[in-house]
Amino acid sequence: MEIYPFLPKTNCKKCGYPTCMAFALALLQGKAKVDDCTPLIDEKKYKENHEKLKELMGGAEGKEKELHIDVDKDLCDGCGICVTACPVNARYCLPTLSGKAPDYPPEKHQLFQVTDGKCELLDLKSCRRIEAEGRERECTVCENYCPRKAIKINYV
Amino acid sequence: MEMTVNIVRMIERDQIEEFSFGNDISLKEKLAIGFVNPKDFDKLGLVKSLHIKLSNNYGEVIISQVRDEKIPEGSILMPVSIWSNQITGVENGSIIYKNLRVEVEPTRDPILQFKDLIAKIVINNK
Amino acid sequence: MMRINCSGCSLLCDDILVNTNGTIIEQVIGACKKGKQRMDQLNAKNRIISPMIRKNKELQKVSWEEALNKVKEIVKNSSKPLLYGFSTTSCEAQLKGLELAKRINGFIDSNSIICQGKVLNAAKDSGITLTTLAEIINKADLLILWGANIADSIPRLLNKALFSRGKFRLTGREIKTIIIIDPIKTASFEVMQMRDTALYIQSDKDIDLIRFLKEKISTSKEISENKIAGLDKEDLKRLIINLTNAEYGVIFVGQGLLRPNPEYNVLKELIELVRVINSKNEKGRISLTLLGGHYNMIGFEHVSLSFYGKNHSLQFSDNILIKTSDTIVSKVANDDFDCSIIVGTDPISNFPYFLSNKLASKPLILIDNKKSATMEVADVFLPSSLTGIECDGLAYRFDHVPIQLKKILNPPNGVLSDEEILNNIIKKINNK
Repeated sequence: MEIYPFLPKTNCKKCGYPTCMAFALALLQGKAKVDDCTPLIDEKKYKENHEKLKELMGGAEGKEKELHIDVDKDLCDGCGICVTACPVNARYCLPTLSGKAPDYPPEKHQLFQVTDGKCELLDLKSCRRIEAEGRERECTVCENYCPRKAIKINYV
Repeated sequence: MEMTVNIVRMIERDQIEEFSFGNDISLKEKLAIGFVNPKDFDKLGLVKSLHIKLSNNYGEVIISQVRDEKIPEGSILMPVSIWSNQITGVENGSIIYKNLRVEVEPTRDPILQFKDLIAKIVINNK
Repeated sequence: MMRINCSGCSLLCDDILVNTNGTIIEQVIGACKKGKQRMDQLNAKNRIISPMIRKNKELQKVSWEEALNKVKEIVKNSSKPLLYGFSTTSCEAQLKGLELAKRINGFIDSNSIICQGKVLNAAKDSGITLTTLAEIINKADLLILWGANIADSIPRLLNKALFSRGKFRLTGREIKTIIIIDPIKTASFEVMQMRDTALYIQSDKDIDLIRFLKEKISTSKEISENKIAGLDKEDLKRLIINLTNAEYGVIFVGQGLLRPNPEYNVLKELIELVRVINSKNEKGRISLTLLGGHYNMIGFEHVSLSFYGKNHSLQFSDNILIKTSDTIVSKVANDDFDCSIIVGTDPISNFPYFLSNKLASKPLILIDNKKSATMEVADVFLPSSLTGIECDGLAYRFDHVPIQLKKILNPPNGVLSDEEILNNIIKKINNK
């Protein structure tokens, strides 16, 4: 976390967030702007930190970052581990509990499907990183369990 | 330099797939290849464009090489193909594919094409 | 969309959906890369659909009548024919192959003698504990890969065995342990997590590990040695604890353990080790499992054992089975044959160079569906259809369960199945 050291760390709540750590997370996700922290502008001792923060965010602040899950088709070998291990697939598609491929046409909440020997991402809306609350938002099961390292999660 | 060769199955280097969907050039590039540990790579004095020649009392073959850290020292990994079978043999009534002893040396000679290997068999016999 | 059984490898998955328009397969859902390759062979560019004979050193297209007459001529002029292959054909075709071998006094063998058949041969005196796929999915909590690289040979087996949430293992991956014993870091090592163990054993030292485990488990003594076969004391302790406390363990035997040695038999000692562990373990048990690349390698053993009493290397003479200790390797190496019939395999690419030389020096008849290295030296080529897509058949899975394969498309005009081709050869030889 490169942002947190430059904040006042007083948890004064003037920006609207309960702690400085929560404000730093919101800055990363593009939900807040650097100028929302009024002590940074009002008090002289934070002038250097203010400029440094503006430079770090570099104009990408305020724009909402989107979740992207990329599957590299050259590395994938169609083993189907992502289909079986994904917790959303396991909840809505019964055949994946014993390792079988789900039915066609795919269920409304199904995330992964193996078509023509390669893994394909169907609809990102049901992914846990968007819909769930709390610790479930940090789900990285598909990226960790792929044996060919073909799945990458990033925010753009 | 003396080393051992292990012949394994690799899912992305399959001779039947190259026959059905590739061509002569992709067949030679993908299958006539060996993976070498970086320390052996330096000991043999290899560079990217050199080939290596493997020879033992069963036969000899020339293949290209690639540097790879996952390979243990002293051994070379090759995919199953007609090139790798030039140096396999029979011991105790069984064909051996692992821990074959070979002599390795760098060379600039060209790699034989698939049709040259077939011609070698046909000329010897019919 | 219809459901079919895939025939890409010996796992024979039954949950594949395909979309077809009557002549080709358009979309495949659920199959891995090897299954898709098998479906693509339907209209690959090296598919051959007419019989061929070699005249003046070139292969030329001929009619079925002319090709079968040439086969009859080659077989009549030989006294020691050889038949080999049969691991990519249905069980019905394997039965016809045995009948043909008996008719022409030939020697018949299948691919399993140079592969997993060695494990079953080592179990002849003592028996072997095997298991089925459903038990692995629902009950297994310990998997050991010994000399096997499953991620490259059977991709979906890791998915079904390790990540599934079976009836008694509903938490899935978190409750299962996997141990891999291999000298090289292969692609299968990428699925390991915190509680798993990776053992980088020294090459050809598996026998030391087996003997050490047998002694420590049967006598329950403390470990005093520092290193066995290149493995540390801590890793060995973890391995012994996992083996003796597992509720249902499975050992996958791969090519790394199949190298023969004149002084000892690794497979016999491994089977004995499993028996010792099971007698010490009160509430659980360990089983063995074989693997295989071709989809019906185990089928030949079942068919020949049921109908003729021997599971490999059958030699016929005067219409009866006679005793022999030869295998396909010794027959070819000693030049003990004068013509060969190859069914569904490619020995010129997969045998050592000096053996393929000897095979190619005598007349060779090939029954296959595609162009390969063996076709470049064959004298007669007979095209066959793909079992599981273009014709029916029975096949045995890697855990000895029989699975029925169905036909969903018609083969190209003039192409017959393996069973029909072998039947036509028998009829042609019987005609005067």
